[in-house]
Parts: sequence; C-alpha cells; structure tokens
Amino acid sequence: MIASWILPVCESLHFIGMAMLIGFAGILDLRLLGVAKRLPVAPLQRLMPWALLGFALNLGTGVVFIVANPGQYVGPPLSLSFVAKMFFILLACLNAFLYYVSGLKRAADGVEAGEEAPSGAKVSAAVSLFLWVAVMYWGRVLQFFGKSF
Amino acid sequence: MMAWLQSIEGSAWAVWLKESPSLWGYTTLLFLHTIGLSFTVGPSVAIDMRILGVGRRIPLAPFDAFFKVIWIAFAVSAASGTVLFFSDATAKLANPAYLVKMTLVCIAAAITIAIRRRVFRPAAVEVDASSRYLAAASILCWFGAITAGRYIAYF
Repeated sequence: MIASWILPVCESLHFIGMAMLIGFAGILDLRLLGVAKRLPVAPLQRLMPWALLGFALNLGTGVVFIVANPGQYVGPPLSLSFVAKMFFILLACLNAFLYYVSGLKRAADGVEAGEEAPSGAKVSAAVSLFLWVAVMYWGRVLQFFGKSF
Repeated sequence: MMAWLQSIEGSAWAVWLKESPSLWGYTTLLFLHTIGLSFTVGPSVAIDMRILGVGRRIPLAPFDAFFKVIWIAFAVSAASGTVLFFSDATAKLANPAYLVKMTLVCIAAAITIAIRRRVFRPAAVEVDASSRYLAAASILCWFGAITAGRYIAYF
C-alpha cells in the first residue's frame, strides 16, 4: 500500500516536472517561432537535458499514480482520457525524436542571434507546443472524471 | 463580507461550475489555470537558472522577451484562478494551503518584477550576487506555490 503522504508529494513533483518541461522545451519552441530572436539557437538546444529531466520526473511520478490507483487509469473501464493523454505524449516524443534524427536540430544549431529558424524547425516547434498543451488538457480531463461528480 | 462571498458561491453560475458534468465548466478553468501556470513558472525558472549560471554561454539579455510570455500566462492563471476562487471562496479562505499558495504567488510575482528591474533594465545586462539570490528565491517560491496549490485538495 502507498503511504498517504506520497500522493500529494508526487502530485507536486508532477506539476514541477511539467513546468520544467514547458519551461525549457517551450522557450526553445518559442525562439524557433521567432520570440526572443536575439537568442542563438545552438546553446539553447544544449539546455534540453533539463526538459528531459522534467519529463523523467513526470514519468516516474505518473507511474506512482497508476500503481496507487489503477482503476482510475486502466480500469476497468479503461479511461479514454488516460489513453488520449498517453497518445499525445507519444506523439510529442515522436515529434521531438524526429526533430533530432531528421537533421532539423542540426540545421537549427546554425541559427545565430537575430536569424530566422528554417521553416521545418518552425513547424516542429509549433507541433511541439500544441502537443504538450494537449497533454495537459487530457491530464486535466482525466482528473475530472476521476472525481465523484 | 462572508455573507457576500457565500451569496456568490450559492449563485446559479457557481453551482453550475461546481456541479455541471460539462467539460466547459470546471475542467476548462482548471486547464486554463494549468496552461497559465506552466508558461509562467516554466520560462521564469529557465531565466532564473540562466541567472544562476546554467547555460552560461547563452547571452542573457534576449531572455527579456520571455517576460511578455510570462505575464500573459500569469494573467490567464490569475483570471481563471479568480473565477475558481469565487466559486468556493469561504472554503478557500479557510484553507491554510490556499493562503500559503497565494502568499508565495505574490512573493514570486514581486521577485519576477525585481529580477527584471535589476538584471534586464540596465543597459548592460549583468548578474551580481543579489540577483543570483533573487533567482534562487524565485525558483523556491514558484515551486513552493505549486506544492501548496496541490495541497489545497488535501485540507
């Protein structure tokens, strides 16, 4: 059984991890889209391990939530908002993976201060922002259906 | 004052917000609150960590542009938070976690203003010991506010 103090601690860490992920991945996405254009892209991209740290924190605490309360997520019945959230996380990870392996990341490394990012990187950044916002949406809907409304 | 807050809580819209199964009520407000939170705290903490020396090679001055994002997101959280507060005001005011959260949010917002003044306003953007201190306090207050916010549901 999971001790009662563990859940609120994990929930807090889940929100802190979320802020880290949005903080670091989000500022890169926004820079690629033209906000804070005076930032050179290459050193910003070297900060992405911090976004990954936030993601890892949320993966770990997320597993705790499922173990503590499997009925709310995997059911039965299987929670559709949980499935949607996992699906959008998968899409967001796939988008990030493709950004790195397709050469878009390397192309963006060459974007100096004041320069416009290549349009491929811009599309990837916009998709990334959209997908993470969608992940947060499904996370909220998931919690709503978990309550006894 | 309490009677006034109670009459708002009992009004038709507040009851709808709390009891309607519609996703457009409570869930949408919480979603907006969460989006606002992550785009306030995320970029703030990124700026704070840069001030503290993470990614030292990145020029600091251009980060100034993210304050616009931070304040827009903060406004979204504040607006959705205000509606959530009035739908349940007397309980929130009696909840110690809520009071701690609001105190920390106010301090964190004040620190954000102070950091912008101290670090980003001067012609030559520079980091000194006291701005590093402010940056560390900012991270603590934001993460503390998030934690207190989560604990509202447990009191």
